[in-house]
Amino acid sequence: MCDRSPDVLAAVASATLSGAVGRPVSVEVHVSNGLPGFTIVGLPDAAVREARDRVRAAILSSGLPWPMRRITANLAPSGVRKGGAGLDLPIAIGLLVAAGELSPDCTEGLAFCGELGLNGSLRHVPGMIALADASSPLGMVVPLCDVREAALVRGDDVHGAATLGDLTRILRGQSGWPEVPAQSVVPRVPSAPDLSDVRGQAVGRRALEVAAAGRHHLLMIGPPGSGKTMLAERLAGLLPPLPPADALTVTRIHSAAGCALPDGALLDRPPFRAPHHQASVVSLVGGGSWSLRPGEVSLASHGVLFLDELGEFPVAALEALRQPLEERVIRVSRAGGTVTFPAAFLLVAAMNPCPCGEGVYEGACTCTPASRARYRRRISAPLLDRFDLVVPLSRPDPDELLAGTPGEPSAAVAARVAAARARATARVAPGPASRPELASDAEALLATKLRSGDLSARGLHKVSRVARTVADLADEDMVSFAHVSEALFLRAGRAAVVA
Amino acid sequence: MSLPEEAYAVALASVPSIGPATLRGLLGSDPPSVAWARTRGASGGSVHDVARIWAQHTELGISVLMPGQASWPARLADDPQAPAVLFCLGDPSVLRRAPTVALVGTRAPTRYGIGVAAQLGADLSGAGVSVVSGLALGIDGAAHEGACGAGAPPIGVVAGGLDDPYPRRHARLWERVAEHGAVVSESSAGVGTEKWRFPARNRLLAALSDVVVVVESRHHGGSRHTVDAAVERGIPVGAVPGSIRSATSEGPNALLADGAFPVCSAGDILVALSLEGATVPVPASTLTQPRQPRPHPTSGTDLRVHAALSPDPTSLDDLARVTGLDVSALCGALERLARAGLAVGIGGWWERV
Repeated sequence: MCDRSPDVLAAVASATLSGAVGRPVSVEVHVSNGLPGFTIVGLPDAAVREARDRVRAAILSSGLPWPMRRITANLAPSGVRKGGAGLDLPIAIGLLVAAGELSPDCTEGLAFCGELGLNGSLRHVPGMIALADASSPLGMVVPLCDVREAALVRGDDVHGAATLGDLTRILRGQSGWPEVPAQSVVPRVPSAPDLSDVRGQAVGRRALEVAAAGRHHLLMIGPPGSGKTMLAERLAGLLPPLPPADALTVTRIHSAAGCALPDGALLDRPPFRAPHHQASVVSLVGGGSWSLRPGEVSLASHGVLFLDELGEFPVAALEALRQPLEERVIRVSRAGGTVTFPAAFLLVAAMNPCPCGEGVYEGACTCTPASRARYRRRISAPLLDRFDLVVPLSRPDPDELLAGTPGEPSAAVAARVAAARARATARVAPGPASRPELASDAEALLATKLRSGDLSARGLHKVSRVARTVADLADEDMVSFAHVSEALFLRAGRAAVVA
Repeated sequence: MSLPEEAYAVALASVPSIGPATLRGLLGSDPPSVAWARTRGASGGSVHDVARIWAQHTELGISVLMPGQASWPARLADDPQAPAVLFCLGDPSVLRRAPTVALVGTRAPTRYGIGVAAQLGADLSGAGVSVVSGLALGIDGAAHEGACGAGAPPIGVVAGGLDDPYPRRHARLWERVAEHGAVVSESSAGVGTEKWRFPARNRLLAALSDVVVVVESRHHGGSRHTVDAAVERGIPVGAVPGSIRSATSEGPNALLADGAFPVCSAGDILVALSLEGATVPVPASTLTQPRQPRPHPTSGTDLRVHAALSPDPTSLDDLARVTGLDVSALCGALERLARAGLAVGIGGWWERV
């Protein structure tokens, strides 16, 4: 028996993504005598299994030796599924340690995450914030392009390297950690469209303002060409910038879903998500077989979820929205486990009044009563109840479109929205007694509507809330007759969808 | 077992392969029992089936009318396409009374159409005219809603069997019409409501009327069948004029261009009836009554908003543009006007009352 070299074992810390949460993983590499080969065990997914070929090519391209011995990499804990290519780097580092290229001491106190290119470069890994969380309190080594993102939660504990070769030299102490480039290669998020592009549409603009100020879910009902989509796209621009905690939540979710992040890595503007109406239930609420991914409701959390052509969405997808609308989180349960994603979104939907779209204009609709009834049945009463604002829109006046006077810019409306929100917060803050102060004629108006059956008990509650928001926007303590009238009008579109 | 002749006619009418024209041919030459015996092979039924179907009709209180009987409507006596047998819920003698006016139109009317149909129904009924209509959704239903209990007995002419109200939403109205007047059909109880029965029903509806009035209908609406049947029989046709921009007024406006008489009030219809020989007093219609003095808007804003409203539904966007007011002020003014009875808002659209 010729025992040329003893068995070696190396262990390197890393993390993997499960939903939007990271889990620590310990990568153990064992190099022993035997037939040359490389196996990865410990519930790897396809991307991790393919790491074998990426790691080998990356090590060879970096001018490092590949041990012609029997190599086994184990990902512990072995009962947890590991996904993604982020484990390439810890496997490679473990291998280099086991092969004697790196000393075990230099990986001490560090966790590694990164995908390897065949040329030895280190590549972006989605969900870096969650991975950084899971790596705490170890220092972290990530691809250079991910340093900003990981630093959002770990600050100075994060180091980056551009290639496996560079990293080896740094770990050997032959050079220092490189500077993080001032500009990352990730493209900038385009600025949101401005409300000044919208001509006329007094009702639509007002509905956006009230929705933004009071976080009221909004359903716009109007014929094709009445500007529903154009208005909805401008809602995110009216919302105040996200406070740091919310910004981190939003960034974490986007990062986990593999969305492009802006330069500074932090998403501090409310997101705007507009899934197409063919979206599946899973794509809306999140899921997947075992690598649970956040859905559109979570990506839109703390921002706007816009559902254009609401009537065309699969009924199952719409009904799945009811729970997150109520609880502001979504729990995705699979055989492999349950994940809770945030889902505190502002829902804005648009639909035609009927299949032909002309139903708002009396006598212009060419649908049969049966097809209209079928179309309306798609929006269930419980879902419709979630909308505080159901606003009928009409096509803009041609003269107004051509006149060319730009509308009020988003910034001016956003300022009013911010002031109204501040008012609402200040009012709620002090004590428990915060019944809206109603003017006597406003109360009489509500009583009339309640008695005539125009308003249900639930409707009364919603109208009161919206009226309160309208009063906040007007910077008034008392909810007046005009405020209640407007709140009543802002749900008048229900008549077009109910019955 | 001794069954009346009507029982055999009902049994024949219940055979799916025997349509109204075939039935007319069969019963034209032979009494029903003989015709039934002759077609037994086709219908495959026994005397027991005849008895069962007959029992079903009598249980439901459906009376069966046949040509030659005293109860047979005189208008159908020499009709070219008279039904061979009629089924009737309510009082069959109503079918013999005069005058009768058909009020017909689209199943998807505007509020204008619904209002006019209900008003004409009530005014005509009050003047002693039986309102004939199809009990369909929209104009038909509105006309009967107006006519029920307003005076003269209403007549509903329906396509399917009398055991199964169609549309279901009008089951209650159907009962009320049968209570105050009569609901008739040439389909026996138990047959389906196939599509072909509707044009056939429209033909019967026209044949039972002295005047046919189209309130609102689209260019190619089902009212066209009723009008064609009326023209074939020399029955005068009236039409309610409407906006040239409203798709639901395309039908009546085209009829007016073709020479139908304009109907602006129940009085216009009564004039057409008296030209046909009927004598009824012409009442002052409530449709064109002068408007009573109304409270006036008080504040300047309300005045401005009131002036911007029109009798046609106006969107809030247009009102905001015309008045220059913001949405909040506008909504307040509109609610005040609504409380004073000067404006009405439906589905976010507003109109002057």
